[in-house]
Amino acid sequence: MAGLDIFLQNIANGVLMGGVYALIGIGLTLVFGVMRTINFAHGDFVVLGMYSAVLFNALLGWDPYLSLLLAMPIGFFAGVIVERFILSRVIDAPPESALLATLGISLIIGNAILLTFGGEPRSVQVPYASSTFSVAGVNISMVLLLAGIATVIMIAALYALLNRTEVGRAIRGTAENRLGAELVGIDTRRIHSIVFGLGVMLAVMAGVTLIPLLFATPTNTGAVFTLKAFVVTVLGGLGNVGAAIAGGILLGVVEVLGASYFMSEYREAYGLIAFLLILLFRPEGLFGRTVKRV
Amino acid sequence: MTKHLIGLGVLLAVGIAYPAIFPNNLTIAISVLLFAGWATSWDLLGGWNGQVSLGHASFVGLGAYLVAIGQSQFGLAPWWTMAMAAAVAAVLAYLWGWLTFSLRGPYFSLSTIAVAEILRLVAINEEWLTGGATGVFIATLPEPFGVDLFSRTAQFYMALAFAAVVIATIIVISRARFGYQLRAVREDEDSAMAAGIDPTATKLKAFMLSAALTSIGGGIYGIVLAFIEPHVIFALLLSVQIALTAIIGGRGTIWGPAVGALVLIGAGEIFRTTFAEANMLIYGILILVVVLFVPRGIVGELARRHIRRLYAKRAQG
Repeated sequence: MAGLDIFLQNIANGVLMGGVYALIGIGLTLVFGVMRTINFAHGDFVVLGMYSAVLFNALLGWDPYLSLLLAMPIGFFAGVIVERFILSRVIDAPPESALLATLGISLIIGNAILLTFGGEPRSVQVPYASSTFSVAGVNISMVLLLAGIATVIMIAALYALLNRTEVGRAIRGTAENRLGAELVGIDTRRIHSIVFGLGVMLAVMAGVTLIPLLFATPTNTGAVFTLKAFVVTVLGGLGNVGAAIAGGILLGVVEVLGASYFMSEYREAYGLIAFLLILLFRPEGLFGRTVKRV
Repeated sequence: MTKHLIGLGVLLAVGIAYPAIFPNNLTIAISVLLFAGWATSWDLLGGWNGQVSLGHASFVGLGAYLVAIGQSQFGLAPWWTMAMAAAVAAVLAYLWGWLTFSLRGPYFSLSTIAVAEILRLVAINEEWLTGGATGVFIATLPEPFGVDLFSRTAQFYMALAFAAVVIATIIVISRARFGYQLRAVREDEDSAMAAGIDPTATKLKAFMLSAALTSIGGGIYGIVLAFIEPHVIFALLLSVQIALTAIIGGRGTIWGPAVGALVLIGAGEIFRTTFAEANMLIYGILILVVVLFVPRGIVGELARRHIRRLYAKRAQG
């Protein structure tokens, strides 16, 4: 029975952690699906969210979840501005141009944070940081549970936005066929800005929910999150929001199970190995439409 | 082609005289030369063949680690381990390319980051081989013909030879059949296939050559550092730096990556005191400027203007 308990515990942790990964991955996959751009700055926006929580906590003494009220709109508008002034100018250039532009944005964000906050790891102390409660012998950490709940709410809101509103229809239309969307009167430039804003907002939100759990450092953490977001989206299938959720949870579970049953030092590597295996056997992602190999 | 070979000859002549003229500025010259070599190797794949790699630090690390481990644990001389590194890098590139090159789209760029990251984790965790997070130290080196390989002058000449060999390779390839195949695949894979070129094989060859050359430079870097830490040598930032050096200088040009190395290392040195550890900020700003305003890079833009002037003159005359 003890083995089963540990297994259930691992699954619970993996699923909750995976929820946050899914949140990060959805932002990336949404931007890719609509703009066909891989956003290399995505992880840095997550880190920006973490630091915004640190900042609001230091200045106003706010709890990270309270600072979401300000951080999310700011993230959205930051994303819109970045898209308007940088990405919209390279959208018709060869695809690497947009990729390189986001790489530049990533370097600028990471190093600007480094100049502002210094290099030492930062975090926010919350009173519920170490509180847990148990369900059927499985201990669940309060921080992870809150992150999980926030993820579910956000995904539900996003689902409603994409499927129940006019803007959502326009976003889906632009993702499917940009020219077609323009022909029926959709302002795809506006849609691109909105989508990039949404992507940044999701990244910032993930960062804020993670800060009670992880330390933020300016440059390295960003790259780690960007990589995780890639893994999540490729696991599920690039450009597919539902698949990113499944990919995120899968990554969380694979990491936790790998770390607890094989070698814990390689925790970060399991997701990457899964990613390479997916590339090898099913590059369209576990849930994507089949693409033909050349 | 002769023009470029003359240019290379001038570079070599200046390089050979350099340590006598500026004996105190050797370290920065070594990094310019190493980056020129790496960026040119990267450009073989990224510029001439259009496959953007963000994992070239894996090959740098492979070379550096093989040289360091070979020397400290097995007493192997660096030239043997560098040859081994080139072979291992080519094999790694083959397997990796075989995995990803048959796919179109961003898959290759994405996988390069993952592979470099896995190598970094291996280097940190396999302490018996790599010394773990603390790294490996090169304590002794053989002295071929009485040359002390720890002296900066000897290291400078090694870096110079490396950069010259890589640039010579690009000059030869630019006019060879292979060079035209590379560019054909970059421009349009379907048309290249229609012309009888196998895109996957071409990309594989370019990647293997690029990887082998980069790892030789990595071996020299290992000797220069004499102390190899996984966080530094497998860092995503190093991969990004290599790629950006080539792109800012001018992708798919012969001298672009070398010019990029000179500009970027120089800029990094000038702003080192201003931004301290945040000196990658310069790279971020420069890459945005290049992508938005000079998409061909420094040398690419100069070449375009030169060609336009030539045509204008011909049209007048």
